[in-house]
Formats: sequence, structure tokens, C-alpha cells
Amino acid sequence: MDSRGRGGRRTVGTAAALLVLATAAGACRLEAPERGEAARRAQETGFRGRVIENPGPRPDFVLNDARGGRFDFRAETDGRLALLFFGYTHCPDLCPIHMSSIAEVKRDLGARFGRDTKVIFVTVDPARDTPERIVSWLENFDPEFIGLYGEPATVDSIQLSLGLPPAMVPEPTAEDYEVGHGSPVVAFPAGDSIRVMFPFGTRQADWLHDLESLAAFASLGSAGASD
Amino acid sequence: MTWWCSARGTAWEWTWQPYPGVWLFIGLLAAAYLVTARRLGPRPVDGRRRAAFFGGLLVLWLALDWPIGALGAGYLASVHMAQFLMIALLAPPLMLLGLPRSAYDRLAERRRLLAALRFLTHPLVALAAFAVVVYWTHLPGVVDSLMVSQAGSFLLDLAWLLGGFVFWWPVVAPVPERPGFPHALKMGYLFLATVINTLPYAFLTFGDLPFYGLYELAPPVSGITTRQDQQIAGLLMKMGGGVILWTAITILFVRWFQREEAA
Repeated sequence: MDSRGRGGRRTVGTAAALLVLATAAGACRLEAPERGEAARRAQETGFRGRVIENPGPRPDFVLNDARGGRFDFRAETDGRLALLFFGYTHCPDLCPIHMSSIAEVKRDLGARFGRDTKVIFVTVDPARDTPERIVSWLENFDPEFIGLYGEPATVDSIQLSLGLPPAMVPEPTAEDYEVGHGSPVVAFPAGDSIRVMFPFGTRQADWLHDLESLAAFASLGSAGASD
Repeated sequence: MTWWCSARGTAWEWTWQPYPGVWLFIGLLAAAYLVTARRLGPRPVDGRRRAAFFGGLLVLWLALDWPIGALGAGYLASVHMAQFLMIALLAPPLMLLGLPRSAYDRLAERRRLLAALRFLTHPLVALAAFAVVVYWTHLPGVVDSLMVSQAGSFLLDLAWLLGGFVFWWPVVAPVPERPGFPHALKMGYLFLATVINTLPYAFLTFGDLPFYGLYELAPPVSGITTRQDQQIAGLLMKMGGGVILWTAITILFVRWFQREEAA
């Protein structure tokens, strides 16, 4: 075979090898490291969120409902899945991402999300988060999300009881300030035998994996779903 | 000092940010062109070629610098896709067209370089290499890992640019000569590139869940959801890429037709 023939074979061979490499990309997951952490938790506990075993009864508090009236958390969520999050409407990142992710997955799951499941947002910035603003902000995500507000000291004590840090509002407050607050969404499945914390960084795939199991938790009779 | 656009995890602000690494990169390319043009002889590069090269350089600069570079690096998958189209599909052919024939002839005088170019820019190899670049640089793990650092983001942008040069070389560059690669085959070559874009387009547009953690967890910029942003990215890849490639196919067709008519 002359050099032109050998060169031709080398060219075709290289092209073929590159094509195999290209298509291997489709089979190669190459997940970022944090995905491995969620998967590890799922293998250990059945949930991608962080499970707290035997957490005790869910918190007993009553706050103002942004749509009017009062909201008794324990009474209103008894026997059903509740997702509780402390944030504020001027939050530039964490809060809208959490709310948006839950809303998207809720739409995906439909009835499997649970007719009685409640998503509850409690503001840590009552100075700016008027009831009207809370309602308007939540409706960007889902009109069924519940918005609550109360005295800062009351809200802080609720967060502390859940192991979350109290809000840190800077002093003096300029018009445009950011509030430091805890990042996780706390899930209270029916029965309260476990509690699941979903930190910032929880992906929609993680929510999808866990929420359907959490919504059906009372009927499952045991923790988790396999991964 | 922030030299290159990368994901920063901070809220987006419509406040200009300097990225001197981008300016340096663009400046070096411009300087290399001007130095090359000067060394080729006293006759200036003709206006059309100069416009093509600097037009391509302008596209490249817009894609890499604030705001497009910053938005694409850390906030919106759709803007990241627009960057890909600009860096890999739009800038390289313009810049290659901007090189004068004498520059390509000088390449031909360097036998080893010519041999390497002949191999690397063989249409089969170039197309396959382009497929590797397109698929691997759009993998979630790759994007999520690289875009969080300036070096990683630069690497990704460079991969797109070099992949684009390799891809367009057999279509645009007159050296090495390829008499066995006429206009008709070039049109087929470009058509195959539109097929290559189909796979990532499908994943992005029809995927059930967000592909990239980087954009899913980025501070929101616009009113669109992560999934909508991803769908726009997929459609941009298909349609935007299609417009660019089919425009090139049309130009080739017209030239081929005119040549046939003249013959």
C-alpha cells in the first residue's frame, strides 16, 4: 500500500475514533461532584435530602397569613406533608430558586405531589414584605403557596427550634439590603417519624425523587424510596 | 482581578464589569493579524478581507465580554448557547476569510505544518473533531465543573474557538488545496454539521428536567424559568446554528451555480 493509501486509512481511522469519542459523550454522565453527595444520601436513607430521624413533633406556632387571618402550623398541617421555608421576597437568589424548583416539580408531579401538601413561606423581612407583596411574590411561583409573617422575635424562635439560624438584618437598613437567613427547606411528612432538610443546591431532580415519597409517606409505613 | 467571565454565584447586576483577560485575548489576535499582514508585503490587505477578520473579531469580543460573556458563564443557558454559536460558528469563518491568500501560501511553504493541517482539517477528521467538541463541551458535568472557574471557562471558550477553526477550515481556507472537496461536498459537509447539532438540541429542548446545575441554581435574571431558559438554548442551537450553516450552504450553492454557468 502506498503512502497515500496509508494516509487515507489513518484519516478515516482518526475520524472514526473521534466519532466514537463524540458519541461516548452521550453515554458518559460526568456528573458534577455535588450530585454524588445527593446520590450517596439516597443510597443511605432513601432520600436525597438530609434525613433527621426521630425529630419530635412538628413546631407549634401561629403566624399571620398574608391572605388574611391566622395560620396555625401544627393544626393546619397535621397528618399531611408540609414544606416550610424561611426567606424574603427581595432575596436575589436562594429564595426564588427554592420556590421555583418546588413549583416546577409540583407541576410535574400533579396529583402525586399530594392534594393536601402545603408549601409554607415565612418571611424574615417583615419590614419590606407586606402581606400584599408576599402574596404577589408567591403567585409568581404557585398561587397555592402559603405566605406567613410575624414578629421577628417569634419567627427567630421558630427557626431556632428547628436548628436554623435566626435572620440577620443589617443595621442601619438602607433601602436595598440583604438578609442573612437559613437556606434549607424543611419537610415534615405525615407522622413526623422523620424530618427532611433540603439545603440550597437541591436540584429539581432531587425534589422529584423525594417529594412523591414524602407525600405518600403515611401510606408507605417506612422511610424512603430506593434510588 | 477578574480576568475572564465565569460563574460567580452572585446576583446579576446590569453594571458594567471589566474583564481584561478578554481584551488581552482580542488584542493579541488583532495584533497577530496586523503583524502578519505587514510581513506579507507592502500591499495592504484588501478592505473586504480586513472587514471580515475584524468583523469576526468583533463577534468574538461580544461573545466573550460583559454582558454576554458574564450572562452565559453563570446565569442563562440560552445566552451560553448564543455564545457557542458566536464563538464556534460565526467568528471563525469570518476570521479565516479575513486572512489574505498570501498568508495561506506562506503556510504551504512549511511542509510539516502543512502536513499536520492537511490531516487535522481533512473534512472527515474536522467534522468528527467538531462533533467531539460540541458534545463534550455541552455535557452537564463538564459545564458545571468548568464554568465555575476563570481557567475552566477560558478552556471551554478556547475549545469552541479552536473547534470552530478546525470545522470551518476545509470550507473556507484555500490551503491545503482539496480538489476532491468541491462545493457540492462542502454543502454536504455543512449539512452534516446541522445533524450534529440535533442531539444536544433534543436533550435541551425536550428534557424533562434542567440539565445544568450551574444554570438551575444561578440567581435568577429574567422572568423565565430554568426549563424555559434551557428550551430556548436548545432551540437556539438548532435554529441559530441552522441559520448560520444554511447561509453558508446557500453561499456555496450560489458560487457553485455561478461557476457551472460560467463553464
